[in-house]
Amino acid sequence: MMSLLVLKERLITIYQKIDVYAKPVIRFFMALVLFMVINSSYGYDSRFKSIPVVLLLSLFCAFLPIPIMIIIAAAISFFHFYFVSKILSILVVVVFLILYLLFARFTPKQGYVLVLMPICFILNIPYVLPILLGVIATPISIIPVTCGVFLYFFIAIVKQAAQITVTLSVEDTLQVYTYVIDSLKSNKEMILTIAIFAIVMLITYIIRTRKIDHAFDIAIAAGVVVNILVFLIGDLRLDIQDKIVTLVIGSLISGVLVYVIQFFRLTLDYTAVEYVQFQDDDYYYYVKAVPKMKITVPQKNITKINEKKVTADSVNIKELVKNELYDDYDDQDDISNYDEFDEYIDEDKKR
Amino acid sequence: MLDNNKIKLMTKLAIYEKNEGQEDVKLSKYYKTDFLRYQIIKTVVSVTISYLLVLLVVAFYRSEYLIQKAVELDYKAIGTKVLGIYIILLVIYLFGTIVGYSFKFDSSRKRLFKYRKNLKKLRQYYRNEENELK
Repeated sequence: MMSLLVLKERLITIYQKIDVYAKPVIRFFMALVLFMVINSSYGYDSRFKSIPVVLLLSLFCAFLPIPIMIIIAAAISFFHFYFVSKILSILVVVVFLILYLLFARFTPKQGYVLVLMPICFILNIPYVLPILLGVIATPISIIPVTCGVFLYFFIAIVKQAAQITVTLSVEDTLQVYTYVIDSLKSNKEMILTIAIFAIVMLITYIIRTRKIDHAFDIAIAAGVVVNILVFLIGDLRLDIQDKIVTLVIGSLISGVLVYVIQFFRLTLDYTAVEYVQFQDDDYYYYVKAVPKMKITVPQKNITKINEKKVTADSVNIKELVKNELYDDYDDQDDISNYDEFDEYIDEDKKR
Repeated sequence: MLDNNKIKLMTKLAIYEKNEGQEDVKLSKYYKTDFLRYQIIKTVVSVTISYLLVLLVVAFYRSEYLIQKAVELDYKAIGTKVLGIYIILLVIYLFGTIVGYSFKFDSSRKRLFKYRKNLKKLRQYYRNEENELK
């Protein structure tokens, strides 16, 4: 454990140094993996498969926000399917539009889940996302997860349909279309997966928000166990036996991955250094604000017989309680002054 | 002379302005009812468009059947059913929109209020400085 903590501290210092460059680089690799997965699974159009194009697009995505990356990925998918069958490509676009308008529009900050979900499915560890989002996010992320699962199964079906079109003549386009819709309608595995992921997310979220010791660890463990159990029941009822081994191993790997991410997130998330600039009458300020780190030096307690025991912990707790009291006071202050703030708006309007 | 406390305050304000502040300030230009109305319009438009798209997908899927029985279909019954589903969908989405965006608006206002409080403190700093000069 100690060596892990040391590693964490080191990673934090490195991260603080390279923070400015880290985000575009991460986005670049995310886009690269995404485009490569798309090309390898349904790369029908060879123009988009060439390495310079993929690299160029990834580079482009590195400096653009995630939604643009998703739009580019959707456009590439459209062109790939357009190359094989026009009707399929139109269907793909329509489904993307429906997904966006009805669901993804409400959770714009979690658009990356839509992209990550199919990739995790291909890597056989789709269980990472529901457990992770249960631990770090709110239940509203059920929406993007559901969309992601749907997207994966939909693309898989469209891929099968595209293979059929090769042998079919042009007149049979309607057949391809009905094949896709029929398979979507009868796909019980998809509905099962969506339901189970929702359950897993809710359970991890509920346990994580309880005020108990090791809430995070228990939540992750519970997520993994519930995931395996419910999937086993569901798979046995649907007679899908060949996936049980990958399910158990995938779930365990997912649990470990989530634990690792959670371990680093607890500090990494808060060590995001802020660069801000502002000015007053006399100076320009270029400020680099580094959040304070939690020091993990073990504390020694000295116990003296017949004397009152004072440990560092008890002092800390007192301070904590005090701070919390003050925080509460602040909040009350906010509410009582709320009217005053409303006056500000009126002032603005008068001007 | 550099005033550390003032720099700390200004840094806090600048960090807020850089992150959540941008959206909060945008929201602060609306009254709550106006903001909700705007979001409701957006929701109605998007739900209508996507419902039409779903209808298109279903109609094309059933096109063989529809063309075959084009004469004997009970269009009134189909129409009421389609309209009924649309209204149910719309009501669910409107409810979600109103609840969700009210919450968003209120929490943004609370953050903005803290920001204003800090701004007030900063103004106090300036006043004190002016008084010292006099």
